[in-house]
Amino acid sequence: MKTLRYFLLAFVLIITVGPFVWQLSTSLKGAGEDIYTQTPSFIPHQPTLNNYAKVADAIPVWRYIGNSLVVAALTVGGNIVFATMAGYAIARLKFRGRSVVLGLFLSTLVLPGEVTIVSQYVTVRDFGLADTLLGVALPGMVAALNVLLMYNAFRALPQEIDEAAIVDGATVPQRLLRVSLPAVRGTLAVVAIFAFIQAWDDFLWPLIVLTSPEQYTLTVGLQYLSGTFTQDQRLIAAGTMIAFIPIAILFSALQRYFFKGVEEGGVKG
Amino acid sequence: MRIRLAAAVTALALSLTACGSGSSDSADSDKITGTITLQTWALTPKFTDYLNEVIAGFTAKYPGTGVKLLDQPGDGYSEKVLAQASSNTLPDVINLPPDFALPLAKQKLLVDVSKGDDLSKTYVQGGVDAYKFTGVDGVYGYPWYLNTDLDYWNVKQFSDCGLDANTPPATTQELFTQAAAMKAKCPDNFLMSRKPDVSDFVRAGIKITSDDGKQFVFNTDQAAALVDQYRDAYAKGYLPPSVLNSDYQGNSKLFTQGKVAWTTGGATGLADFERDNPSLKGQVTVSKALDTPPLYVQGVSVSAKSKYPATAKAFAQWITNADNQNKFGHLVNVFPSTISSASDSYFGSDDGTPAGKARALAFGELKDAKNLIPYEVNADMQKLLDQQIALAVKGDEPSRKALDDAVAKMNQMLSRQ
Repeated sequence: MKTLRYFLLAFVLIITVGPFVWQLSTSLKGAGEDIYTQTPSFIPHQPTLNNYAKVADAIPVWRYIGNSLVVAALTVGGNIVFATMAGYAIARLKFRGRSVVLGLFLSTLVLPGEVTIVSQYVTVRDFGLADTLLGVALPGMVAALNVLLMYNAFRALPQEIDEAAIVDGATVPQRLLRVSLPAVRGTLAVVAIFAFIQAWDDFLWPLIVLTSPEQYTLTVGLQYLSGTFTQDQRLIAAGTMIAFIPIAILFSALQRYFFKGVEEGGVKG
Repeated sequence: MRIRLAAAVTALALSLTACGSGSSDSADSDKITGTITLQTWALTPKFTDYLNEVIAGFTAKYPGTGVKLLDQPGDGYSEKVLAQASSNTLPDVINLPPDFALPLAKQKLLVDVSKGDDLSKTYVQGGVDAYKFTGVDGVYGYPWYLNTDLDYWNVKQFSDCGLDANTPPATTQELFTQAAAMKAKCPDNFLMSRKPDVSDFVRAGIKITSDDGKQFVFNTDQAAALVDQYRDAYAKGYLPPSVLNSDYQGNSKLFTQGKVAWTTGGATGLADFERDNPSLKGQVTVSKALDTPPLYVQGVSVSAKSKYPATAKAFAQWITNADNQNKFGHLVNVFPSTISSASDSYFGSDDGTPAGKARALAFGELKDAKNLIPYEVNADMQKLLDQQIALAVKGDEPSRKALDDAVAKMNQMLSRQ
């Protein structure tokens, strides 16, 4: 039984991590060795960091990283502020149409983003935000999923604590900041990670909003590595690793909170 | 707080539009002046210098003009163009392959460039025809660079398995016979590396669409017989099983891995294979495409909403003129669409290197090359047909039924376009 469990674990590990290892090893392979082999070989025989240097030569990779960080910061900031406030309002405040609002948030989750992408673009363009990083970040600054996560986290807190604070004369912002927020830090970390990954990985939306190459985010800019006539797989792999590393770092830094946060929202209910 | 944010955004939007609307005085539309944008598809950073040179030549010839280059990444280009089209932000001059130009031409977003200009005097007929569409009058783009497919063969596998790499298959039927010969000698090797698609039906002379272009009609007995032939070949093991999977990454990947002995590819293909797998150097021989070579056309179209239509048209002609196209063809193995480029001896000469041989062969092929994938068949339809053919080749469904189903669904998709 135990061996079966380990076998399954190893199997899932291989299918999830395998492609990354392949990319990593391809990005380190020298110009003299084969990339596509009948049986995959993961250890580069002529290891080199040249491919990474070549990526930096071919495209302004720092600029793209900077742009991506701006978008990610706006998205993370926006989600932390607005999803918290919206989630708190739906969970704790009484106002007319509260359940309608919740239903609307839920229903937008069903729509795939591709369906609304053109109308979203027309809206952003009418704001005059086409070809700006704010335009890229704006629609993602309050994600419905994050509002629901925060709603769930606030709802799990005992109502009595809030009531005690009311008796003590705390206003709504005070109750949110002093009483409830410290108790949901885990979920906030989850929201931050989700928002960061969403902003960092998105390809289609920034591609549509941005037109000038100097405004491109990293995912879009990396596409320049695969040109019309020639594609150097080693460079593409190096580019992929450059895009992947920040997410890996962020996740491992926030990992502790992440799993705490996932439990926080789900178990107590 | 919400309201304050909305107000802030609106204020920002207003200030930005105020900045943007300063220069909207429309000049005399016949004069070649003003700054236009040129959108190319995945040509930078490799060809930035070339494109800048072309632009510099244009602005020197027409003082008072400017061209802003926007190069779009390869992936997601059709989404990008459609979003630009639906929001009225198409650049003045756009690099569009014919299948992308078709929906825009139908929506009257592109200029008919054949008005008052006999394009077939300047450009090869196949290039001009690529931008003529059934159902709309006119030509909706200047042909730019052309390419075709060649066949690449693995010399070592040929000689190991009793075939002669100097006489590789020249037709699809020869491919079947040589695949059988290879299988007899080397049971683990494969010669064939792809299942049939719509281009194979065109090659076999099967009619794809009805004359008015409104229906697909390729579900004939002849097409079913061709699919049957592939089904039998698959059953005998002439094709590797992975060609039927959805993770099939194209015959060139299998070829580079050494899993199959044949692939198709453009005249630039060899450089790619050798860069990916240096051990293939000297192992690859190249020959003309099977049966009818395909013609791939890239072109530049002019937006119907351009503020400086005369400038946009002049630039589209400039970038596709013989001189500029020849220069481009010298940089990379693509071919000019201008008639006078035939006198440039560079393209037809085999300098002895494999890449030179590929260039000369491909250039020779272009005379007979035809568009093998009708532009009505878009990417979604090709995918659907691909799935149906996979079912038939695997033997799960009779070929005729698979084709009937595909045609029925593709007709639905076509009527919605």
